[in-house]
Amino acid sequence: MARSTVKTEITGKVWKITAEKGQRLAEDEPIVILESMKMEIPVAAPLACTVLEIVVSEGDSVTEGDVIAHIET
Amino acid sequence: MPFDKQREDFQARAKRAKQMGSPQRLAERKAANILNARERVALLLDRDTFSEAGLFATSIKPDVRDKTPGDGVVSGFGKVANRMVGVNAADFTTLGSSSAEVHGKKQYWVRETCRKNGIPMVSLMECAGGRIPDIMGAAGIGRAGEGARYTHSRETPWASAVLGLTYGGGAFTCINSDFVVMRKGAVLAVSSSMVTSVAIAEDSDPEALGGWRLHSENTGFVDAVVDSDEEAIAQLKAFLSYLPDNANQAPPVATTIAAAPDAQKLDTLVPESRAKTYDIRTVVKAILDKDSYFGIKERFAKVAVTALGRLNGRSVGIVASNPMFKGGALDPDSCDKIASFIVLCDSFNIPLIFLADTPGFLVGAESEKRRLPGKIMNFMAALELSTVPKIALVLRKSYGQAYLNMAGGRADITASWFSGDISFMDPAVAVNVVYAVKPGEQPERYEQLLKDVSSGATAYELAAPFMAQMVIDPNDTRRYLIDMLEILTRRMTNGVGQHRLANWPPAF
Repeated sequence: MARSTVKTEITGKVWKITAEKGQRLAEDEPIVILESMKMEIPVAAPLACTVLEIVVSEGDSVTEGDVIAHIET
Repeated sequence: MPFDKQREDFQARAKRAKQMGSPQRLAERKAANILNARERVALLLDRDTFSEAGLFATSIKPDVRDKTPGDGVVSGFGKVANRMVGVNAADFTTLGSSSAEVHGKKQYWVRETCRKNGIPMVSLMECAGGRIPDIMGAAGIGRAGEGARYTHSRETPWASAVLGLTYGGGAFTCINSDFVVMRKGAVLAVSSSMVTSVAIAEDSDPEALGGWRLHSENTGFVDAVVDSDEEAIAQLKAFLSYLPDNANQAPPVATTIAAAPDAQKLDTLVPESRAKTYDIRTVVKAILDKDSYFGIKERFAKVAVTALGRLNGRSVGIVASNPMFKGGALDPDSCDKIASFIVLCDSFNIPLIFLADTPGFLVGAESEKRRLPGKIMNFMAALELSTVPKIALVLRKSYGQAYLNMAGGRADITASWFSGDISFMDPAVAVNVVYAVKPGEQPERYEQLLKDVSSGATAYELAAPFMAQMVIDPNDTRRYLIDMLEILTRRMTNGVGQHRLANWPPAF
């Protein structure tokens, strides 16, 4: 079991949070959906993992490289 | 028998040279499932087609002649899928295939013979760097430079594989190549970690210094990553199958042609809502001939898809924005990736097809810091200097400068799906920017303005002044592109372009 973080690759606003703490996610399953460039852009699990914590809230502004969630793989 | 003694001596010398370097090193490789130079050459070439050059070459230094069969490289010519190629395969068991005088001469001879005769060159690389003591002292490094030519003017395709520790000259050969595949576990760097630890007191892990992740995801120097030598060689062959032997030929045409199963279901692969993301590679694969998709730099700048493929048997280069990553907003790295792909296709007469579904260039402080305006213009320079046939197709949307860079209006043919939305920026943003009206503040006025702005941004508004030659149904894309290519590839130059990008720098 390894802990790691999920970061956003684009600057934008958190539009929806689609996962919750403790949830088991498959690879590529979205954790949050950002709104940027008028697109709904998912930030997804890089690997199958368990969500330990989501550190952003809906409406937050995020910058490229910001941590969105802590996960355990 | 005449010449018995001489023949016996000849055969004994050849046998010894073919045994390569240290038996212990050869055994270690075998145990680790890593092929040696001769096994790699055999796997690359059609059976019994190898004509070797330099089997009896050795180091220029008398004291190590016995230890340097072939001087650490297996060179020559042979056929891949019945087409002639030149090959240099590093023999790491012979002094680490380190760079030295005869070692370099052999490779240079293959290279020049390829260039003069219009033959592709394959390099199967490993290299410990410059050989000690050969390169020591002023005369040593001076000699290394004598006769060395680094510039690749793209007369013939160069395809390289990074198959082990590859430093110095070996690394530079790969960097100069038109296609580079890397086996996981191999390393590509200027110097080994032994050198960096002394030179700059940095104890780098070789993976961090030049491993597959660095080069496929950060530098973009490597076009494909594989797990084994066998897969690497298969990738080299696949790459060459799309390319002509040289810049003076049109690419080969495949004879087995089948449409992909989803060719007429493109409307099911793309969400109607322009805000929704999807993976454009599914669309590209559906348009191209079945199983002909060959992605280049798939792990680097994923916003841009650059892929070789075939349409009705003809080689094409696809440039597409991918909404799956960053919403399809083109970032600085994606400009580099596309420019280098345009250079590849233009140099070897491969027509280009641009598929745009992009909200524009990725604006913002981070992009500016990474030199976005310069990258956009490099991308544009490559596009405008290219003379290969080009088709630009808008799928759902294409805004601002990105519309122009994705060849809108600059290609021989510009077309749009009926879903196309083309403007200076997303209409929803435009209402904010132009009229300073926000949806939350004046909802009714916002809706009216949005309607007005959007109505001027349809595919038909591009088609009316004939800035698009056609508006098409998504499900008709494959047929339309095949028909248009048939026209554009009739140019009276036998499919050979002007190659104004032939001397574009090798690395971006």
